[in-house]
Amino acid sequence: TLKLATLVPQNSSWFRILQEMGTEWEKASGGRVKVVFYPGGRMGDDNDVIRKMRLGQLQGAVLASPGLAEIDRSVYALSIPLAFESTDEVYRVLDRLRPGLERTFESKGFVVLNWADGGWVRFFARRPVAGPEDLKAQKFFQWQGDTHTLEIWKTAGFNTVPAPAPELTTGLQTGLLDAFLTSPQVVLIMRYFEKAPHMTDLRWAMIMAGTVVRKDAWEKVPADVRPALLKAAQDAAGRLRRDMAASEATDIEALKRAGLKVVPVDARARTRWEDMLRGAHGKIRGAYVSAQAYDEAMAIRDELRKGGRR
Amino acid sequence: MSAIRSLLRNAVGGVLVLSFALLMALPLVDAAGRSLGGLHLPGSADLVQAVTLWLTFAGGLAATSAREHLTLSTAGWIGQGRAGRAARALASALSAGVAAMLAYASWNVVMANRAEGHILEMGIPAWTLDLMMPLALGAMALVFAWRAGDGWMARAAGFLAIPAAFLPGLLPGGPSIAYGLAALAGLSLLAGTPVFVAMAGVALCLFFAQGSPVAAVPAEIYRLVASPTLPAIPLLAGAGYVLAESGASARLVRCFRAWVGFLPGGMALMAASVCAVFTSFTGGSGVTIVALGGLLLPMLLQDGQEEGFSLGLVTASGSLGLLLPPSLPVILYAIVAGGRDQAVPPDRLYLAGLVPGLLLLVLTGAYGILKSRKRARTPFEGREALAATWAAKWELLLPVLIIVLFASGRTTMLETAAGALAYTIAAECFITRDIHPLRQLPGVLLKASALMGAVLILLSVAMGLTSWLVDAMIPDAILAWTTAHVHSKLVFLLALNLILLVLGSVLEIYSAIVVLAPIVAPLGATFGIHPVHLGVIFLANLELGFLLPPVGLNLFLASSRFGTPLPRLYRHVLPFLAILGIGLLLITYVPGLSLMLPRLLGKG
Ligand code: NA
Ligand code: NA
Repeated sequence: TLKLATLVPQNSSWFRILQEMGTEWEKASGGRVKVVFYPGGRMGDDNDVIRKMRLGQLQGAVLASPGLAEIDRSVYALSIPLAFESTDEVYRVLDRLRPGLERTFESKGFVVLNWADGGWVRFFARRPVAGPEDLKAQKFFQWQGDTHTLEIWKTAGFNTVPAPAPELTTGLQTGLLDAFLTSPQVVLIMRYFEKAPHMTDLRWAMIMAGTVVRKDAWEKVPADVRPALLKAAQDAAGRLRRDMAASEATDIEALKRAGLKVVPVDARARTRWEDMLRGAHGKIRGAYVSAQAYDEAMAIRDELRKGGRR
Repeated sequence: MSAIRSLLRNAVGGVLVLSFALLMALPLVDAAGRSLGGLHLPGSADLVQAVTLWLTFAGGLAATSAREHLTLSTAGWIGQGRAGRAARALASALSAGVAAMLAYASWNVVMANRAEGHILEMGIPAWTLDLMMPLALGAMALVFAWRAGDGWMARAAGFLAIPAAFLPGLLPGGPSIAYGLAALAGLSLLAGTPVFVAMAGVALCLFFAQGSPVAAVPAEIYRLVASPTLPAIPLLAGAGYVLAESGASARLVRCFRAWVGFLPGGMALMAASVCAVFTSFTGGSGVTIVALGGLLLPMLLQDGQEEGFSLGLVTASGSLGLLLPPSLPVILYAIVAGGRDQAVPPDRLYLAGLVPGLLLLVLTGAYGILKSRKRARTPFEGREALAATWAAKWELLLPVLIIVLFASGRTTMLETAAGALAYTIAAECFITRDIHPLRQLPGVLLKASALMGAVLILLSVAMGLTSWLVDAMIPDAILAWTTAHVHSKLVFLLALNLILLVLGSVLEIYSAIVVLAPIVAPLGATFGIHPVHLGVIFLANLELGFLLPPVGLNLFLASSRFGTPLPRLYRHVLPFLAILGIGLLLITYVPGLSLMLPRLLGKG
């Protein structure tokens, strides 16, 4: 039996795809592999889930970037702010990084079966944010769990307010918080747009997701069925990627209908964001993501871009 | 021996007072630093988490040595004879074994945290701070073993229980006898085993029988204690304790009697309201009783209410306010139950819960008025009212401070709680001077932390047991069975009430929401129940579940706070349960109570 936990909500198209993957695993193994999913954070957040995997209560999990980063921060190489132009570019860099990334995870005791994403995060704010100076004038929510990221924003001169995740709702209400980074889907579901009706038209960073299984549990799966399981996992990832890509546009449309205003970012404002990031470069490369993974990802990106122009 | 014991006791006491001080200071520095422009303690959130863990486990150890852990008071029935001694020896030995097993299991959790490799500021590895968990649990095992009896024979048996606890893990038939052991752990409650030990024993055995690592139990304990919302609880409870130990209750009684003494039951309504406000802040974890019980019960008694009624009122009021802002369970429900096609926005859920939440509060207060209508009233006198208000001004300012700090968006919930404790200490130690800051305050904080330790350990072990139910998917099975057999909306709602009440009393509240809400929400949709109304029903049921005998959390907490035997408490709570039950039915079958207000405000 493989017990897999995830934060993905039970009643979502994402979870339906994961369940299909589970069914295919059971079918492909002729019933030798049983899959049980614990969706919607039943086993706790990503930190708890990883602890339970390490203890052996769970065999696997579908984790997003913050969770994957708890195993190894090199995964944030794919979420370097403003480093990638498109979803496609992220995945092309991922394809090249994968062997190394997966080796790193394996050395920490986990096998990565597939890679998908949770979409792009953007700034949402009470008052319009075009450049960094607009964000500095507002109280900026940071999840208190990631000290590295928090310190980067703080040092760059932003008015960050570290808080637990659920306090974003009350904080927007009381005025403790004005701005935050998240995906349009979350804003739509939580109706944050009522208090923070301005979305910055800037794809800040992409959140990755992946299915990981304890190495020993994976090796207990009969060797002859492993390829079929792997294939089912990869197919599921393909469906997840398509689902996510399609929902981004519909979610933004729905938000606009509900009164969300999209704040354009002109070339000058974009340069100011890039300048700000350059100022924090010493910490992003090193603390946010390891220097080696950072350099590798950027080298691959530059190489791919050059190849594209040729 | 006694020298070592007093040395250890002082060390634990020192850790507890230091933890309290840090827990109060860190958020305050953050809050002040932010308004002064960007000053910030790096890694302060991590440190707050670690200190909360210390408070829980060092507090639990202090509670063990002071015998403050909740037990069923049935052990008295066994008597003092040979059988009684044997039963007590058995209970102590079993407690020693369970505590030892928990210590071992939590050691594994600490090692898993070590593998995470998280480094705090100044290069301290985070896992070293977590060592408090196995250390304190190991010390508890030794204390329990020592207590197995007075003679060396009994003590030897007690210490033997520690290695014996690990035997099932070595035997081939271990897992199958674990079910028997789980039953034994449950039954040992009757012989006086602390409730937290019995619950932990049952949970450990069940995970073991299922073939899962026993570390699953402390992993869940760790999860609760390290959750970002927990640190506010000991802070607010500490404030409640300081108030209870000072002359505040006499001043507040005088003030309320002067203002509402002409109104029968005014004090009861006031007590219920204060509990509701407090619960809305602590997120309905049942800690209201522990924090405010020591203040409110004497106030009610001084006001001349009968003891049974007062006990019932304080116990029942302990979860009122679960539906009122800024209660976190409401937000959690909104997050968990909402989806792209069916949104349950938190602000709407708060609006919808306002009338039902106040209804439950008013029903409780109305019962208080009914019970006290024959009592002598104090006529209203303007001068006395003003004088009494003036005398209690420092205490009356506390809720004002809390609301202003939080509602103005100046502080987070945790910072507000830290501010409340700091203010209370300042007021009672330096302004009214009821408590001497050096001679008395540490003692008060120690007493508070022993009881908080007992409560937090109980809460977290309940999480461990909940976690087994979740792992084994028991709630899913119950809901699936019900929906297979229910076909009308009316019956569905009734079944929903019953199931949520029972599961709500068994499960820890946040787990109950996370597990049940995603299943209940689509079911409600198929029966055509408005998603926001369903959320209100759901949370109102959990609110009542806290009171449901035999295992509703409020009953346990009230029993341990007031030293009242559980059966007596059941009796006193019953009338409140009946009245709130009527309220629950109204909320369930009259959707307008929930949906009218949002519609009037154009947010339907
Ligand atoms: Na759980
Ligand atoms: Na409960």
